[in-house]
Amino acid sequence: MSITTTGNLGPMILQSLAPAMLYVPTPTMNNILICDKVSMPPNGGTTMRFMRPRALVPPTIQLGNTGIDPPAQVPQRDIIDAQMAFFGTGCILNEQVILQDQEGVLAWVSERLATAMRQAEDLILRDYILSAASQINAGGGTNGDNPTNLGASDFSLVATTLDTNNAYKFMSGIEGMDHFGTGPVRSAYFMLSSTELQSDFDSLTGSGFLSQWNYPTNASALPSEYGSVYNIRILTSSEAPVARAFSASGADVYYNYVVGKQAVTHIQQDGYSMNLIYRDPYYSGMLAQNATLAVKFAQAQALTQDTAIRNLACTRMTSLGV
Amino acid sequence: MTEYNRIARGSYTATTGSAQYVYLPFQPNLVKITNYTASAAFAQHGIPQAYWDVSMGQGFASVLLNSGATPTLITDVVTSNGISTFGAGLMLQYGAQKQIIGATKASPIVFNVTAHGYSVGDWVTFEGLYQSATTGMPQISGMPFQISAVGDADHFTIVWNGNQSNYTALSGSPAGAYVKKILYPDLYLPGVNFISAITTGTTTTITTTTSHNYRTGQEIAFRIPTSWGTTQLNSLPNSTIPGSPIYGYVTSVTSNTVFVCSINSTGYSAYTNNPTVASVPGLSFPQVVAVGDVNTGGDLYTGGALYPSPSFPTSSGGVSTINGPAIRGAFVNNTRQGFVIGAGSAVTDASSHLSGTTSDVVYWEAIYSDM
Repeated sequence: MSITTTGNLGPMILQSLAPAMLYVPTPTMNNILICDKVSMPPNGGTTMRFMRPRALVPPTIQLGNTGIDPPAQVPQRDIIDAQMAFFGTGCILNEQVILQDQEGVLAWVSERLATAMRQAEDLILRDYILSAASQINAGGGTNGDNPTNLGASDFSLVATTLDTNNAYKFMSGIEGMDHFGTGPVRSAYFMLSSTELQSDFDSLTGSGFLSQWNYPTNASALPSEYGSVYNIRILTSSEAPVARAFSASGADVYYNYVVGKQAVTHIQQDGYSMNLIYRDPYYSGMLAQNATLAVKFAQAQALTQDTAIRNLACTRMTSLGV
Repeated sequence: MTEYNRIARGSYTATTGSAQYVYLPFQPNLVKITNYTASAAFAQHGIPQAYWDVSMGQGFASVLLNSGATPTLITDVVTSNGISTFGAGLMLQYGAQKQIIGATKASPIVFNVTAHGYSVGDWVTFEGLYQSATTGMPQISGMPFQISAVGDADHFTIVWNGNQSNYTALSGSPAGAYVKKILYPDLYLPGVNFISAITTGTTTTITTTTSHNYRTGQEIAFRIPTSWGTTQLNSLPNSTIPGSPIYGYVTSVTSNTVFVCSINSTGYSAYTNNPTVASVPGLSFPQVVAVGDVNTGGDLYTGGALYPSPSFPTSSGGVSTINGPAIRGAFVNNTRQGFVIGAGSAVTDASSHLSGTTSDVVYWEAIYSDM
C-alpha cells in the first residue's frame, strides 16, 4: 500500500493547547452583597465596636400647668463587638513549573487564589449568619414536613416581621409598565436562597412569584436575582446553606436569609482586604528553586441589626434533578 | 522539603475516656505520642507510646501496650477512635446517620442507638421521631442537642422534658428515626441557641439545649413562638416605646447550658415545651440570640497567657480559640484545624485508652512533612 497515513507518518507533536482556559464552575457569592461594609482602622486593636443608640421614650404625657419639669431620661445604647480574624493560603511553585509549563501558571494560579479568597469571604459570612440569626421554620407549604416547603404566606410572614421590626428595605419598587407579561415589583428585602429551590419558586408563579424576566425593567435586578415574592427579592446561589437529611421527615433543609439593610456588617482590616503575595524563587533557599504565590486577608462580621434579619428554613416541594 | 515542613510539640494532662483535641496551624500527616505516666508506671492497660501516619487512615494508630496483669510490652493497633486530623472551617457537616431503636418518654430523654459512639458534650440532631403518623416526639426534630450523659455504648441522654402529654416513647426502630452528630457546630460564637426551659421571676433563668457560649454582660434577645408560652420575653413588640427592641443582659452564667438574664419576667406566661405532634409541620423553635454586650475588656488573667483568647464553652471545660484577645461577648471566629487523639482502645485490650487515663501526662509531636 502506497498511501502514507498518520499510521506510519504521524505528527511529531500530538497535542495543541487550546487558546483559552475552560471556565471553573464557581458559585455566585451573594452573602457579601447584603452586608454593610466597614473598615477597621489601623492600630485599632483586635475588636471592632459598633454603637446603636436606643430610642428614648416619646414624651406623650402633657406637661400640665404646674411649671415643673418632668424627670430627665437617661439615654442608653447597645454595643456590638466583633473580633478580627486573619486568613490565607498559597502555593509553592518550583521554577521548573514556571519555566517549562506552557500555559502561564502564575497567571491562572493567581486568579484561582483570588477567587478562593473571595469564596472564603462569602462562606465565612454564610456560616456566621447561620450561627447567629434566629430561625423561622416555613409553615406555609403543603408537604407536611417541618419545616414545610415555602408557601407564599411564608414570604408574607417574614416580610411582615421585618416591617414590624422597622427594618429598612434594600430596594425600592419597580413601577408597572405597559410591557406584555410584566408586573410591578414591590419595594423589597433580599432573600439569599439556594439554586435548588428555583423550581419551587417557579411553582409559585401565579401565587405571588414574579420571575426576574417579568419585571417591568431589569435595570435594578442583580445578576443572581431569580425573582420576587411580595416584598422579597430572591438571590440564588449553589453555595447557599443546606442541611442534608435534616428535617422532621428526613428531607434536606434550606436556610434562606431574609435581610434588611445593616442587618449584617462585614468588617475588613484597613489596607488588608486582600493581599496577593508573590515571592520570587530568589527567597527560597540556596539554589533559589521555588517561588511562592499566596493570598491573605482579614475580616470580621457581626449582626448589627438583629431585628432586620431572619433565617427562613424550608424543605423542598419539587424533586431535585441530578 | 525541609524548608516547608511543619513541626509542633506539646503536652496535656489526660482525662479517662476523653478525646484530646490539639489545634495547630496545619493538619499533620504524622503524630507521635509519649505517655510519660504510663511509661513510668508500666501498669496493665497503659499505652506508653503511639504512632500515626496519615497512610494508616483516619482514626487508627500503631501503639505499644502494657499488656497483661504482669505487664509485658507488646505492639498493637488502635482501629477506632485513634488519631485523626480535622479542619473545622465550614458548618453543615454531619456524622453518620444512625437508626434510633427507641427513646424514653422521660425527662431527660434517653435514646437507644446501637453503638452510637458519642461522648458527653457531642452535639447531635434528630429526624423523623415519629412512632406513628400522629405519635412520637417529632417536636424536637431539627433542634440541636448536646449529649448530657452516656449510659453505655448503646444509650445516651439529652436534656429535654419528654415526659409530657404530647410525647410518646419510641420503640421498635421506627422507620425514618435517625440521629446524627453535628461535626462543627461552634465555628462562630456566640450565636443563636434553642431553649429547653425558662424559669420566670425577678430575673429569668434560661436553659439551652446546647452550650449557650454567653458571657456575663452579654446582651440577648428572645424569639419565642406562641406555642412555647413565654412570648412576653420577645424583643418586639414593645408597648412602651413602639419599635424599640427590648433586650436583656446575662447577669450570671450558671453552667454551660444555663444562664440568668436581667429581665423581670414575673407574671409572664409559663414556658411549655409540649406542642402537639399535629402542630409539627411549620413549628418554629424557641430561641435566644446574642445581640451585643456591655463588656470593656478581654478574658480575665488566670495564669498562662497574659491576654488570653476567648474560650468556649464559657462556664466550664472551655477551650481557647486560636485568635487573639477579644472583648468578652464579642462575635468571634472559632474555626480551627489540627488533630485529635481519640480515646480508642488497643485491639487486644478494651480497657486501654490511647488518649490516656486521668492525670496521665502525655507529650505529643506533630509533623507535616511536605515531601
